[in-house]
Amino acid sequence: MQYLADVKAATAAGPAIEIDRVSHVYAGAEGGVPALEDISMSVGSGRFIVIVGPSGCGKTSLLMMMAGLREHSEGRINVHGAPIPKPDPDRVGVIFQEASLFPWLTTFDNIEFPLSLRGVSRDERRRRSRPMLSLVGLDGFGDRYPHELSGGMKQRVSIARGLVQDPPVLLMDEPFAALDEQTRMTMGHELLRIWSTTRKTVVFITHSLTEAVYLADEVYVMSSRPGRIIDHIQIDLPRPRTYEMMATDTFGRLRDRIWQQIRASH
Amino acid sequence: MTRWQIILVRTAILFVVLGAWEIAPRAGLVNSMLLPPLTDVLAMLKVQIARPAVQEAILVTALEVIVAFLIAVPLGAAAGIAIAEFPYAGAIFKPMLFYVFSIPKSIFLPMFILIFGIGFQQKVAYAAFTTAFVVLMSATAAVESVKSDYVLVARSFGATPMQILRRIYLPSMMPVLLETLRISMIFNFTGVMIAEMYASRTGIGHLISNWGENFQMPQLFAGVILLAVVAIAFNETVRFLEARCSTWRT
Repeated sequence: MQYLADVKAATAAGPAIEIDRVSHVYAGAEGGVPALEDISMSVGSGRFIVIVGPSGCGKTSLLMMMAGLREHSEGRINVHGAPIPKPDPDRVGVIFQEASLFPWLTTFDNIEFPLSLRGVSRDERRRRSRPMLSLVGLDGFGDRYPHELSGGMKQRVSIARGLVQDPPVLLMDEPFAALDEQTRMTMGHELLRIWSTTRKTVVFITHSLTEAVYLADEVYVMSSRPGRIIDHIQIDLPRPRTYEMMATDTFGRLRDRIWQQIRASH
Repeated sequence: MTRWQIILVRTAILFVVLGAWEIAPRAGLVNSMLLPPLTDVLAMLKVQIARPAVQEAILVTALEVIVAFLIAVPLGAAAGIAIAEFPYAGAIFKPMLFYVFSIPKSIFLPMFILIFGIGFQQKVAYAAFTTAFVVLMSATAAVESVKSDYVLVARSFGATPMQILRRIYLPSMMPVLLETLRISMIFNFTGVMIAEMYASRTGIGHLISNWGENFQMPQLFAGVILLAVVAIAFNETVRFLEARCSTWRT
């Protein structure tokens, strides 16, 4: 409890995520392979951050480091005021590229999986997963198995699973990459709705420039390997975002700026 | 075709085959010395099962099958998991084991007789030897079938290694494990039968091979029916469990 109080205090005090001159070198057969170089960012609490960059630029690695799932060679990563040497579901929830639902569990059991790891009773688990299911718009699908759900629905379940422990930070690794264009647009919109009701700090990785501009408060642009931050853009489009905004000049200019940066870095 | 039509046709085929088995020898279409009518075989089966010598043989064979199975499955599974989980062990032993796996195991039978004699031990040792390889191969495949994504997800929620084993590995591997159990029993049963028929003083395999050599066809077919029923019953039981454990697999 003291720990949680500390986390809450830190939330109020400083930025949600601080990345300070982080570099990473992979041990290769012929010496080290530099993967990330001198990454620094400061993510304000409750902000929606998008990281874009070419494939293999190390953006997923960076996200895994923020989740405590991967080590880095140099620098410091603080989440809510403390380093994250191993995964900590009280601080960080992760949502993966493929929804990665466990096919042998129902929707309810998938959402409750993080709770069951900590021995939360069955009744309590259901009490907490039901509102999550509603939040992601899947009322009535609690007893279905993943193979009975569409791609978009699976990713909704995965978001509910990431939110069920109510972590202040949500890390999302190209969550909609496997979805078709239409579903992807809908899911982006849905995510913004969920975000506006939960007020999480979100770090979201994507390939899609449109998605980046549509979702983000701030966009970080990374170069190809070794990954460096080459641009940091404030997206000052008003909220709530609408599909119509995509047709505006401002939207086009922002998307174009990101595109120029990525192209120049090759 | 609907499910019921398929079942109907299957049953019809079964009855035609069994009917032909009964009628063909009686009508003189086939030599009844080589193929005795079905009813004669079933009557003989009833007589044989009542004989203490046959009952003892069934007991011996059953024990051999069970003991060999209990030795082969944990041994093969442990080795298979070790090979899948430790890359170095895998790199060294996997090719060797695949080579040995491709050799017909029955050519080792004379060696087993030289080492263990022709009694209970030899049957168990030979059957366990043939079965362990199958279990090993399948266990390796089972571990490799666990998606690393699932492990990563569990880790991100703070799962301990024990929790990952119990909550991710076990359910992921369950369908493959049950299939392994089923297939390894087929190999195990075959191993015991071959060893018994090759050189033995008791056991069902020994009786069947004796009946064959002495041209006692009703007894021979009775033995075949008995074994077929036992083997199919085991196979279908595990297959039923398999289907129940993998409703999520489509």
